Amino acid sequence: MMFARLCRRFQRSIAGGLLGMVMAGALVLLSEPVRADSYEAALPPELHSSPRMCDYVACTEVLPGADSFSERRGQPPFVEGYKTEGGQKTLVGYVMLSTDIVDIPAYSGKPVVTLIGMDATGHFVGVKILKHSEPILLLGIPESALIKFNQQYLGKFVGDQIEIGKARPEENIIGLDAITGATVTVIAQNQVMMVSGGEVAKQVGILKPQVRPPATFIDTGETLTWDQLVAEGSVARLTVKPQDVGLVSTGQPYVDLWFGLLNVPTVGRSILGKDGYERLMAGLHPGEQALFVVKTDGIESFKGSGFVRGGLYDRVQVRQERDTYTFRDLDYLNLYGVLAAGAPAYTESAIFIVRGKTFSAAYPWQFVFLANKLDKTTGAKTFANFDREVWLPARYLEGGRPAYKRPDAPWLKMWKDRAVEIAAFVVLLVAVAVVYSRRDALVRRADRKNKWPVNAFKYTGWVVSIGFVGFHAMAQPSITQVLTWFHSLLFQWKWELFLSDPFIFIFWIFIIVTVFLWGRGLFCGWLCPFGSLSELLYKVGERIGLKRFQGKLPKPLHDKLKWVKYGVFLGLLAVSFFSMPLAEKLAEVEPFKTTFLVGLFNRSWPYTLFAAGLLGLSIFIERPFCKYLCPLGASLAMPTTFRWFGLKRKQECTSCNACAHGCGSQAIDADGRIDQRECLLCLDCMVLYHDDHACPPLVQERKRRTKAGQPLTPIGQDGYFIPIIPVPAGAAAKETTHG
Amino acid sequence: MVDPAMLTEPVEPAYAAGATTRRLAAEAWDHLWPWSRAGFSRQKLVQAVGLALAVAVTTVWVLAGMGEMGAGALIGWWVGWSACEVLVRLSAKPYVKEGPWWGRRYRAASVMDMLCYVAFKNLLVGALLFLTLKALGRVVV
Repeated sequence: MMFARLCRRFQRSIAGGLLGMVMAGALVLLSEPVRADSYEAALPPELHSSPRMCDYVACTEVLPGADSFSERRGQPPFVEGYKTEGGQKTLVGYVMLSTDIVDIPAYSGKPVVTLIGMDATGHFVGVKILKHSEPILLLGIPESALIKFNQQYLGKFVGDQIEIGKARPEENIIGLDAITGATVTVIAQNQVMMVSGGEVAKQVGILKPQVRPPATFIDTGETLTWDQLVAEGSVARLTVKPQDVGLVSTGQPYVDLWFGLLNVPTVGRSILGKDGYERLMAGLHPGEQALFVVKTDGIESFKGSGFVRGGLYDRVQVRQERDTYTFRDLDYLNLYGVLAAGAPAYTESAIFIVRGKTFSAAYPWQFVFLANKLDKTTGAKTFANFDREVWLPARYLEGGRPAYKRPDAPWLKMWKDRAVEIAAFVVLLVAVAVVYSRRDALVRRADRKNKWPVNAFKYTGWVVSIGFVGFHAMAQPSITQVLTWFHSLLFQWKWELFLSDPFIFIFWIFIIVTVFLWGRGLFCGWLCPFGSLSELLYKVGERIGLKRFQGKLPKPLHDKLKWVKYGVFLGLLAVSFFSMPLAEKLAEVEPFKTTFLVGLFNRSWPYTLFAAGLLGLSIFIERPFCKYLCPLGASLAMPTTFRWFGLKRKQECTSCNACAHGCGSQAIDADGRIDQRECLLCLDCMVLYHDDHACPPLVQERKRRTKAGQPLTPIGQDGYFIPIIPVPAGAAAKETTHG
Repeated sequence: MVDPAMLTEPVEPAYAAGATTRRLAAEAWDHLWPWSRAGFSRQKLVQAVGLALAVAVTTVWVLAGMGEMGAGALIGWWVGWSACEVLVRLSAKPYVKEGPWWGRRYRAASVMDMLCYVAFKNLLVGALLFLTLKALGRVVV
């Protein structure tokens, strides 16, 4: 009696502990000073537009030794840094602003604005993050991790093959250590560093362009119409819409351009006429290519109103792999007319000469339009480029198109590099789904005292989920991902970003599919790394003699507290509409980052205390975080209302509390109904449902039949013994006679 | 009698027993039109306010289609309308579907059921409209 009272008091103190955890968590979020200096930092608009970039940012920090800097020059722009000694200026190196050169978004959908310093020999000497919007770096991972990551570039040559992951000396690939839990961010950052450095290095002659075999054209003798040229791909179109550059659409494109190479005899003759083509070719030096561009519609000029004689055409360029070809006034010729039959009317035209001898029309190339994109929230303009790839039809090339292997996209490399682990992960997910879909067969093999036919699979799922999915692959789904999707949906959705984290990508596909099939329980109850860890601790506690201290909250209290998680989720969602950074900060209510991504002992003590406290509490209450706090669980519980296939019930369940009593999730109400939003699909109730020594209607029927000497038939799909239907005496006799 | 296989009491809308195509068409109408005569006779004020707000939110979408409405305001209106739709449906069409969408089982909606239903439906409808307007360049974020 005394002991029972002690236990009850202990359980009450556990309930108090749970509330204490919530309060402590809130305190952590409110009191913990967050140092994220460049997160959504306000940068002066002049930084992006002023010729004197270094007046607005400390360029000396990334180019040590330099004491003066030039204005922005080149296309894409960069700044030269000089050291003054004895009145003499010596070139020290170059400084570039990443957003002047590339528009690669990171995980947040926005670019990491980076200032990069490179010495005169092409070695990186300084990197500074000026602004980023990466939620994971706001709280989960210290910003210093990104700084440390960037420091890996120092001293490395811009022409080196640098990749995230292990070094592969046999392929001359230098590996960089990724930031655990921020893979997408560092993949994007690596692209930013290498492309930015490479573009400037090529302009200043540090990197030599790649030499490609020149194209030898076949003259087919034809003269084609405009439509034929477009259909075969010799003439291509690049359309940029106003919304692509942050403007409201007026129905007119921002710019609508058509372009094509004129050196191909058939194309050149069709566009310029025989005489015009021959005149053009006569004026070109060997290896030079002429490109025509016409604007048929649009509110913007492709030549640029700011163009001055001697300057650069800064809105169009040609790119071939890592080589970029820009155009100056001497590379420009007038295009007096397009003679191809059916050509559209145009308002602006030009012929540009690609003078780089390394350009080869035999290989794919891109026509690039560069624009300034308006950021409506800050009013600042950021650089954006739009391109269209062209590869001449094989019939114009002697020997056809040469063999060409496109370099893998960074996300594809990631999938290839981790192919075995990804395959193992997919096998795990498929196996769990198959096992669960065969639940009827499993629960029939189990009984109240021996649940191993089910638990063997479930416990294996937990262990693999904790070890492999959580700690190794760090694929713990999180509410921050849901918020990031919302953000990306609004700003810029790029599949490549989400594909860069293969485990999370695959996991979410699994989660979405299974939530609609069976509800959130399969993910939450079987595969969520933190949920698994939490319940495993409870089971271990049970085995090591703590069972008497374990318990559930009283049902009325549970029924009130379970709504807290929905409040947390809806609160986060609401806050995210107003302030994404604050929502990301509040999402620390999830202890996932502390547990799996960063590590319990790698964070400041309030976070560690919060996560460890929740895990400690899990020893005494089954999954307290999942039941009462988890915003991710709440977000999945809402669509679970409409899951297709639920668990079985008998009519007698309305008056029997056997299952409800044993339900760890406390998802069964007094009428025996299962709340699918709260159910974690542990299948304990389904084991009882088929157990003729535990399920009261079955027990009753078993006893009745045993007493009457009737056989115990198998239990049917409806959860009852298959009925014994007496055969009429006459029919039985007939059967015997025939037999 | 309580049906333990359902979270709430079974309900049979008038169209539930009809032919499949007619039933699915009626369901589609249900998704788009939250009002009913029964609802009006039960709670006139809620239904009328809902109707007025629906006109307002439709106007907001039209304005957005004309490029006259910011993304933030649009989302705000949509969320506000969704909250109102929960109240309207709870008095006019207080049921949700149980099980697969092709099935014929319906049950009484609790507030949470209706919240989940409206939130999910309007998320899909809102996302579709929003992304369409964004693709057309009418809404710029």
